[in-house]
Amino acid sequence: MKTRTLFAAGMLACGILAAQPSVAQDDLTLEFVVWNYSLETIQDNVKQFEAANPGIKVKVTDYTWPDYQDSLVLRFRGDTPTDVIYGGQDWLPAWGAAGFIAQLDSVAPAGAVDELKKDIAGFALTDVTYKDKVYGLPYYADTISFIYNKKILADAGIAVPTTWEEVTAAAEKLKAGGMEHPIVYEYNQELPNFYDAFVAQAYGRGAELFDKDLNPLFADPNNEAFKQLQWIADAYSKGLVQSETHESKIIPAMNTGAHAFTIVYTYVLAALNNTADQPRAGEFALAPMPGSTHSTLGFAKSYVVTAKAAADPARGEAAWKFVNFMAGKPYTVAKRWAVEKGLGFGQLPLFQDKDVIDAWGKWADVKALGDQAAIAKAGTYTEYSSVWSAYFRPLLAKAMVGEASVEQTMKDGADRWNQLKEQFANR
Amino acid sequence: MWTIKRFPALWLLPALLPVALMTLYPVAYAFWTSLHSVMLLFPGEPFVGLDNYKRVVSSNYFHDALRNSLVFTLLAAPLVVIIGTLIALFLQRRFFGSQVVRSIVLLPWVLPGAISAVLWIWVFHPSFGVLNGVLRDLHLIDSSIPWLTSPRLALVSVVIAHVWTQIPFAVVLLMAALSGINSETLEAAAIDCRSALKRFRYIVFPEIKAMIVVLIVYNALTAFTSYDLVYAMTGGGPGTATTLLSFQIWRESFSMYDFGSGSAVAFIVVAISAVLIVAITRALPSDLFGE
Repeated sequence: MKTRTLFAAGMLACGILAAQPSVAQDDLTLEFVVWNYSLETIQDNVKQFEAANPGIKVKVTDYTWPDYQDSLVLRFRGDTPTDVIYGGQDWLPAWGAAGFIAQLDSVAPAGAVDELKKDIAGFALTDVTYKDKVYGLPYYADTISFIYNKKILADAGIAVPTTWEEVTAAAEKLKAGGMEHPIVYEYNQELPNFYDAFVAQAYGRGAELFDKDLNPLFADPNNEAFKQLQWIADAYSKGLVQSETHESKIIPAMNTGAHAFTIVYTYVLAALNNTADQPRAGEFALAPMPGSTHSTLGFAKSYVVTAKAAADPARGEAAWKFVNFMAGKPYTVAKRWAVEKGLGFGQLPLFQDKDVIDAWGKWADVKALGDQAAIAKAGTYTEYSSVWSAYFRPLLAKAMVGEASVEQTMKDGADRWNQLKEQFANR
Repeated sequence: MWTIKRFPALWLLPALLPVALMTLYPVAYAFWTSLHSVMLLFPGEPFVGLDNYKRVVSSNYFHDALRNSLVFTLLAAPLVVIIGTLIALFLQRRFFGSQVVRSIVLLPWVLPGAISAVLWIWVFHPSFGVLNGVLRDLHLIDSSIPWLTSPRLALVSVVIAHVWTQIPFAVVLLMAALSGINSETLEAAAIDCRSALKRFRYIVFPEIKAMIVVLIVYNALTAFTSYDLVYAMTGGGPGTATTLLSFQIWRESFSMYDFGSGSAVAFIVVAISAVLIVAITRALPSDLFGE
């Protein structure tokens, strides 16, 4: 009886398996890993890709921005299936060196990447390139901006500051007038952009943090990055600065009218000036980064194909189709991010796009944006720079709030850079 | 023939195998990793002996993290037990709405650490935070206090949040222990002694002493290995002000790509935890651990 029952159950199971629709088995599912910025837009873009590419499905997995890099490393180390990811300019060389990601030429048709390269802005191309090979196409490319409240400055009769010393003077005047903390600073050492924002400010002063042989220069007290860290520490010690842990908290904080200045990703200006949900929308503008050169940091986040996906021809081909849909011509998705969310882009033809110009004109002076992008510089990124940045950011954070000296911080940072550089050279 | 008495090891095998796979293998692998150079950026995983341990112990970060973890534990574990005992004693009484109050007290227990962290971030927020708002309304402060971004206040703030999350569990166990006390003994004590403090010291405390020891050990370990709440509230900062050893394991492994050093910190945490357990159980001898 028992044998008969088992046999019957086995037959039933086989029957159910055989009856499964064959279409599902033919579909190839790409694992796409992102940080969770505007997930609904990502899902909608994916839906459009799937409709245009029958037979390819895309499963989206998201992590928060602060946890993204760690989670990706865990996925790579744990062999979790991962095909296409968001890449960051600071992680790209390390992931390339570790063999986690693939150069796009290995999955794209011959000449396709070279054709797209022609349209990519200089700093954005630098950020997606490792050892002269392109590893990603820009998801967005942006700058870090000095943003101020026009109304507060006008009411107080303060001119827009052009140097960091003028920022201090303006903040002190506002503080004397009753504003508790005129500056809001994104202070979170776990965010990679905590270091990037510092570099952007130093670039405004005309700083060079490394020489052409990648020797650190910032430990010299005459270096402009050294001076900028000293400036931040002074601003904190004078009680001019309020810390916030993320841009999402800076947006409502600036919209209380209790702060006049901040330094954030440029796209945050779109959220600050969003009339739909911000009470002080329209009061915010960007000014050239204070300092003698007014330069800033330009960077690109990108769509990257993993080495595992590239090793499987069918999966690699599907991954390329997906990346090309998201970042390739006619740049529909990049344009959508720019128009709907205010994200910058690395695809130069979009600067001439009327829809983009019209949309950006609602929250920013498009000419000022263009001028800033024109003088933006890429950061210095090596295989070990993300490891070094993880070490250096807490030191920076300590120095800013007076828990460590600027001199010791810069010395420790330079020493650790040199250690990693030597270690990597001898690997 | 196949009785459990004849082949006990064989019968236990189905239970032991998953335990071995899920516990022993990862621990053994982590120990192996701590003795090798396992860095994502560098090829090969050569044996380096105790080098990872030496490097980790000699780093500034480790000293900060160890100091913070010990301070965090020394503050949090006793506070949880003391406040938990007071609340349990209070909730033992019957009063109007006591069932509702008991349910509310248990609420922090069911919240995940990340949710509790978000809640406490808003309590401590300099501009919109409840705490600064109340202090301002009471005219106790003129300017907002940077609870989470001041190096001196951040650790205290995360200790408060951690204690809040751990109190319900202590209350539940202590209420269970209190309900085990013979009611006739309590009635006799109430007649013989007017002082509530003395009644607690001579009648109640000896009865719940074993539970208190268990709770101190448990809370010391929980505080010493705490991660999620602190990470979500401060990310270990500002600087290294709230960097705990558990957080340093993560940072070494996933931010600095050095799994050898991360595993070394993990085993140092295990060793210190073992020392903590022995020290606490010896300092507070209890009938639970006696004959």
